[in-house]
Amino acid sequence: MAMKKFINDPANLTVELLDGLCTAFSDKLSLVSEKLVCRATPKDSDKVAIVTLGGSGHEPALQAFVGEGLIDISVVGDIFAAPNGPKVFEALKMMNREAGVLFVVLNHAGDVLSANIAMEMAAEAGLNVKMILTHEDIAPGADAPAEDKRGLVGCVPLYKIAGAAAEAGKSLDEVFAIAERFNNNMATLAVAMKIATNPQNGGEIGKIADDEMEIGMGQHGEAGTGPCKIMSADDTAKAMVERLIPAIGAVKGDKVLLAINGSGATTHMEMFLIYRAARKVLADAGIETACSMVGEYLTVQEMGGFQMFLAKMDDELIELFGAPCDSPYWTVK
Amino acid sequence: MADTISADNVTAMLQTAVALIRDNEPLLSRLDSVTGDGDHGAAMVSAVAAAEKALGEWDKSSLKSLLHGVGWGMMCIDGGSTGPLWGSLFMGMSKGAGEAESLDCAALAEVFEAGLAKVQSQSKAQVGDKTMMDALIPAVGAIRSAADASASISDAMASAASAAAQGAQATAGMQARFGRARNLGERTIGHVDPGATSMSLLFKAFSEALSARET
Repeated sequence: MAMKKFINDPANLTVELLDGLCTAFSDKLSLVSEKLVCRATPKDSDKVAIVTLGGSGHEPALQAFVGEGLIDISVVGDIFAAPNGPKVFEALKMMNREAGVLFVVLNHAGDVLSANIAMEMAAEAGLNVKMILTHEDIAPGADAPAEDKRGLVGCVPLYKIAGAAAEAGKSLDEVFAIAERFNNNMATLAVAMKIATNPQNGGEIGKIADDEMEIGMGQHGEAGTGPCKIMSADDTAKAMVERLIPAIGAVKGDKVLLAINGSGATTHMEMFLIYRAARKVLADAGIETACSMVGEYLTVQEMGGFQMFLAKMDDELIELFGAPCDSPYWTVK
Repeated sequence: MADTISADNVTAMLQTAVALIRDNEPLLSRLDSVTGDGDHGAAMVSAVAAAEKALGEWDKSSLKSLLHGVGWGMMCIDGGSTGPLWGSLFMGMSKGAGEAESLDCAALAEVFEAGLAKVQSQSKAQVGDKTMMDALIPAVGAIRSAADASASISDAMASAASAAAQGAQATAGMQARFGRARNLGERTIGHVDPGATSMSLLFKAFSEALSARET
């Protein structure tokens, strides 16, 4: 069957989407060296810079979160594929400064390979970079080794918190410590009920029967914890949040950030139903939802489903989460 | 005459590899479509195109710069793990070559060991994990054994080629533990790994180029 997508030559998808994004938001973004999405107004050189990398096809993530109080450079790869190591190194070199660079990497094999190569080059060149790896997917089990846990939507609030800390003039060690504290207290669980298509080759991402859904399916169709019959919004939200709460060790009296990230084909209507149900389970357990995100942050083309994200918050993290930022897809005044 | 290879020999070996891997694109794509996303053939064609470009642009200064150019070129291709891993192999070999103008069998073993070490700094895969390592590790081991037994360079490379081919073939019985294929678990058993296959083609080409040198 023909792919039902508005595309041109599949080989040009990334170049064309970045051109569209960066011209639509030319007041906020500028495209440098083909695949480096940078802030239109660069951050002061005495503040820590935030650099990240990842494949395209997950819009608005990651590059639409480039902006003040968020990411300084997003190094973009091809559809669902990491950018090459030398390209990532180029971004680290561009941002290198006395204040330092925080380099945020999502745990996916290709991203980690390119990141490690770039970090090796950065060390040889004497750049001042600290790398942080997000790996908050609890589908393989909350206690699974970190290398088995993928980085999902948690990178987005992490950019926000690290970005705010950097804008506040904190040192690289401080920004790193804050980001790592958030990183170590977050968890995500994904659910899919409709598969997506790889826009580059038409390949189907994942396999799900018509009347089933799969909790734990990754953002490239990676297998989850097995399919089950489709459940109601309330039951799905409950099943998921009840796994997330112990994963971050949240107990009565704790404050959390609850995020519902639509995967592409799940409507905002559904997301609000899910959010409401999850928030109620948290409230019943005496856990306060201090911060919320509902919307499409990191998508997987037309995949039906969502990622539910939970993080333990303290006063400092809450303040940083609420601090001003200005990017195409996330602005706080 | 001492049994050594020069940068020109290495160039010829790489040119043979470029051609052989290009010829095998359909095979590599077919193998990858079973357990991966079907792009390994295309990725290897990009990688060898980058190598070919580097061979053309080489400033003839040293073996080290030749291997570095090839490795850097491969590292700069986008998409998947082929570029970083193959790039690491040649970058590591470049470091291992040091300032040598030509390599005897022992030096060649050291160069390949340095390449392998660099790949291993990026990947934890071992023999048995159904990856390129199932061809690369035994091939490098075969060159080392041959060098220790004072074998000729062409005999060393012939045994590397045969070890790599056997290693690649053996991946059919293994369950993938790395890369995208890992998600398919037991379903990968019965299929030869595309990454091990392309790596075995490299050693096959090197061996063929060296035996052509002698005739």
